[in-house]
Amino acid sequence: MKQQEFFSTRWALIISVLGIAVGTGNIWRFSRVVAQNGGGSFLIPWVIFLLLWSVPLIIAEFAIGKYARLGPIGAIGKIAGKNFSWMGAFIVMVATGIMFYYSVVTGWCLRYFLSAVSGNLMQVDNHLEYWNQFASGYLPLIFHFAAIGVVSFVVYRGITNGIEKFSKILVPTLLIILFGLFIRAITLPGAIEGIKYFFTPDINIILDYKVWLNALTQNAWDTGAGWGLIMTYAIYMRHKEDISLNASLIAFGNNSISLIAGITIFSTVFALSSVDAMQQISQSGPANTGLTFIYLPKLFGQLSQSVFINSVFASAFFLALFFAALTSLISMVELATRTLIDFGVGRRKAILFVSVIAFLLGSPSALNMSFLINQDWVWGVGLLLSGAFIAFTIMKFGVNRFRNEVINGIGSDVKIGKWYNVVIKYLVPLQVIALVFWWLISSVSWDPEWWNPFHTENAGTALFQWLLVIILFIIFNKYMYQKTVENSK
Amino acid sequence: MKIETIITAVIVLSVVWGGLIYFIRKALFYEKQKLLNGKD
Repeated sequence: MKQQEFFSTRWALIISVLGIAVGTGNIWRFSRVVAQNGGGSFLIPWVIFLLLWSVPLIIAEFAIGKYARLGPIGAIGKIAGKNFSWMGAFIVMVATGIMFYYSVVTGWCLRYFLSAVSGNLMQVDNHLEYWNQFASGYLPLIFHFAAIGVVSFVVYRGITNGIEKFSKILVPTLLIILFGLFIRAITLPGAIEGIKYFFTPDINIILDYKVWLNALTQNAWDTGAGWGLIMTYAIYMRHKEDISLNASLIAFGNNSISLIAGITIFSTVFALSSVDAMQQISQSGPANTGLTFIYLPKLFGQLSQSVFINSVFASAFFLALFFAALTSLISMVELATRTLIDFGVGRRKAILFVSVIAFLLGSPSALNMSFLINQDWVWGVGLLLSGAFIAFTIMKFGVNRFRNEVINGIGSDVKIGKWYNVVIKYLVPLQVIALVFWWLISSVSWDPEWWNPFHTENAGTALFQWLLVIILFIIFNKYMYQKTVENSK
Repeated sequence: MKIETIITAVIVLSVVWGGLIYFIRKALFYEKQKLLNGKD
């Protein structure tokens, strides 16, 4: 299959990939995790893992996609060998599993944006009750449908007319809104206390291994590294496009936005909260929604005496959150669509199929919070395995050969040195092993029946669902390889 | 403000935001070069 569509410029590619990386994880998860891990104490390991996890894996994804010009199943099969297409399928499964419930989360953001625009959100007395009423009804299903509908329309239009065009509008708008909120937040009286907490380290906390593992997890979950999404967009890179410089720009851009969001939320909470601000930021609430959907709306109501002004700021925040979620969801839908295209299905049929399946399989998460939490747990941790499979693919190809021929090949502006070999060969696998074991062993402590696959959040349910799909993919490995790699020749 | 707060802020912001600015400037430089050389 000849490659026909490309991102028109380097900046179009960067903006679109930044749209993948910047999601709800930057805005709501980052602040919560910083608060739970001692503020400044968390930021040092977080910066270190930006260099040891995010940058190397984003480089890897760009390189694999550009080299193979196929979605993850074909790309992994082409580079690692015909026996390993199942690893690509697992990467697709993880991203698609996340897509099903991420669409629901995108719908929540849209609902709260509309509620803020109409002024209703600022008139709510009890925000917990308001959230519970919304989450337990049928509205999440309707907004899940709307989110999938919007995204399917964008992906249906293709790369240049769809993803690129919409990313050029959504991502800069998101950045402008975030910057506006950032300025407002740091100029609030008392905001400095939040900024102080955000940057103050505690040596005892820095030495806690859990803080390091949380910092690594945050990088793994919010940069888009190892998801297979960047790999999919890289299919549409021009031949003379650089890899390493673009990848670094994405990784640093993503974490810069996390910092802006973090400073904004800490400043706002410390300036406006009369009770224990730290407790408010670090509280999880149902499906980790506490800070974003329950506490922040309450704080926006205290910004000024004017309901109108408060509604403007609340609307801006939820619009930014909606755009961040939307651009990430677009890439997930594109990944699933591209996978079907690799199997010989046309884009129109593929997107129709993906959107119907996404709506149906996302519906249980829209209607049942426990189901959403289960899927978030299973595929969130599964993401770390995806990172390991990407590193394995490069090792099978030959790390040095991959670095010289693919990363430093045609179009590269900046050459990557031998440090990359060490990171991919040793550090990425080490980080995956540490994280997967830590998360699974931790789950034993919160669930005595840790082996039970029908519980919401434990080792048993994760291992059961991973094994189920891996066995299935190994059975169909040969078929998938033939349909994607051999048919593309 | 404590000295360790200032040091952490300087390290984190200079690495992350400084890194971003550095890579943007590099990308702009290479794009300009490609334009001057008439390459794609």
